[in-house]
Amino acid sequence: MSASLQSGLNALKEQIDAPVAAFFSSCVRCGLCANACLFHTETGEPKYTPIHKLEPLRRVWRQEYTFWGRLAKAVGLSKPVTDAELGDWQELVYDSCTMCGRCSMVCPVGNDIAYMIRKMREGMAAAGHAPAGLIGATKRAIEIGSPMGVKLPALQAQIRHTEAEFGLEIPVDREGADYLLLLSSMEIMNFPEFIGAVAKIFKQAGVSWTISSEAFEATNSGIQIGVSEIAAELVQRIVTAAEKLKVKSVISPECGHAYMAIRWEGPNLIGRPYSFKVVHILELLDQLRAEGRLKTTGMESQRLTYHDPCQVSRRGGVVDQPRNLLNMVAENFVEMPETGTMNWCCGAGGGVSSNERADEIRLKAFNRKKKQLDAIHPDAIVSACSNCRIHLEDGLEEYGMDMPVISLTETIAEHLAGNEAAGSKES
Amino acid sequence: MSRISNDTEFRKALDALDATRQRQVAARFVEHVLGLCSDERITHVAAVAGNSDASEAALAEALKTARAATFDCHTRCGSEGDWSEQAGYFVARAATAALTPIAQMPSGPAWQAALSCRMAQTSKSIVTGDDTAGQEGEQQYRILSEFLDS
Repeated sequence: MSASLQSGLNALKEQIDAPVAAFFSSCVRCGLCANACLFHTETGEPKYTPIHKLEPLRRVWRQEYTFWGRLAKAVGLSKPVTDAELGDWQELVYDSCTMCGRCSMVCPVGNDIAYMIRKMREGMAAAGHAPAGLIGATKRAIEIGSPMGVKLPALQAQIRHTEAEFGLEIPVDREGADYLLLLSSMEIMNFPEFIGAVAKIFKQAGVSWTISSEAFEATNSGIQIGVSEIAAELVQRIVTAAEKLKVKSVISPECGHAYMAIRWEGPNLIGRPYSFKVVHILELLDQLRAEGRLKTTGMESQRLTYHDPCQVSRRGGVVDQPRNLLNMVAENFVEMPETGTMNWCCGAGGGVSSNERADEIRLKAFNRKKKQLDAIHPDAIVSACSNCRIHLEDGLEEYGMDMPVISLTETIAEHLAGNEAAGSKES
Repeated sequence: MSRISNDTEFRKALDALDATRQRQVAARFVEHVLGLCSDERITHVAAVAGNSDASEAALAEALKTARAATFDCHTRCGSEGDWSEQAGYFVARAATAALTPIAQMPSGPAWQAALSCRMAQTSKSIVTGDDTAGQEGEQQYRILSEFLDS
């Protein structure tokens, strides 16, 4: 047995905790999870059944932690997990699973399959079977501080651009601010207007905030690839910066998995509670709305719909807030057939977007989103995740669908009352 | 002669233009930063956008091309970013904005194109380390002033 396979099997064994054992024991093989997974529904291929993606982990559990499994292993009646098998499973665990958690929602015995995929990735990474794209992103995250290689001078340039554009100050390293804003590299590189949108809104609402020059990156490649030590290191950088600046809250930006990483996995990864709160940007905006500190003017007359980012809505519980905010600015808001906690994934989360090998299956799976959109024919799609946004655009392009994808935070900023002088249009 | 000296005046003047003239001036903004984009499709797209006699079919085809180029130029999540290529992405995005119908872009195609062109210059400044990104806005004031006077 190779050292990498041994390492992978050890990692898989270590990942089998009480929930995983209970989930495997409880599975009744009903197959309901298959119809909840867009990779299965849009391909019809049984191998994409979510619980099947965990087969190597299930076998390790059975062979190592059950009486009959151990007996079968002892007398040579069980099939060992091999390196080649883990290699074959890479496509199922990384390319065709976004850890969106929809399968977990429909399991009649309550198995959290997405939780188990996350654990399975720990073994896959330890065995050397993670996709090259994710390995590169993770390396850059550790060495540079950003999976896309965004360095501080680049952020500073975007900040200078934004300050000049909107005539607003973007506070950096301001000790004692109430909120520390994190950004995803996708926002810094592809959607820098997000920074300006937040600055405009916070100015109107009188929010005390800052960005840290030492830890501005929100995303966590360690979670996506499945290496908890790296994931913990990335979380710790944010915690250290937040505590150094003595902020009361950390804001997760328009990025789905960043929110899941810092809000839900973070304290468990570093082994202690935070000394601050974590909120998603939409949670904060909705709070400002409720407090009467967020005032908008004009309504979008377009037929708008909202794409729920899986990690924000389904796994994060931020479902009502975006709708409250959209009610402020959209007079023709229309829901897709399945929304909120049961929305369908864009197909690119969980590291799939970093993995070029997955492009074909990702775009095939996008047909599910197309069906949702075909049912309501919106003029534009609003969302709150930069990764969803770019991959919705890709999918729409692939399927010849003509509709823009826009950021909810930017849409709110565009409608801020009394903001004309800062470059925003009052409609 | 029209003289625009700040963004408030700039945006007000853009908003006063009809759809065709917004598209035309947006094309001029794009042409000013065309050197930052290596995708030759955008040169053609900018020419179509700037043509007041372009047919609906030609405009639709150009928009489709611009969108495809924008997606091809973007930095995918998790991949290593290259700010030179990113400048090209913003130029392609500006071209897309120039051709997007106003109904789909309530903030204004020309304004959005202008912003994306400025972002292209910012991306270039990240590579070169110079501090000329802010000058693109000044150039756009000049381009719009000349356009209004033409």
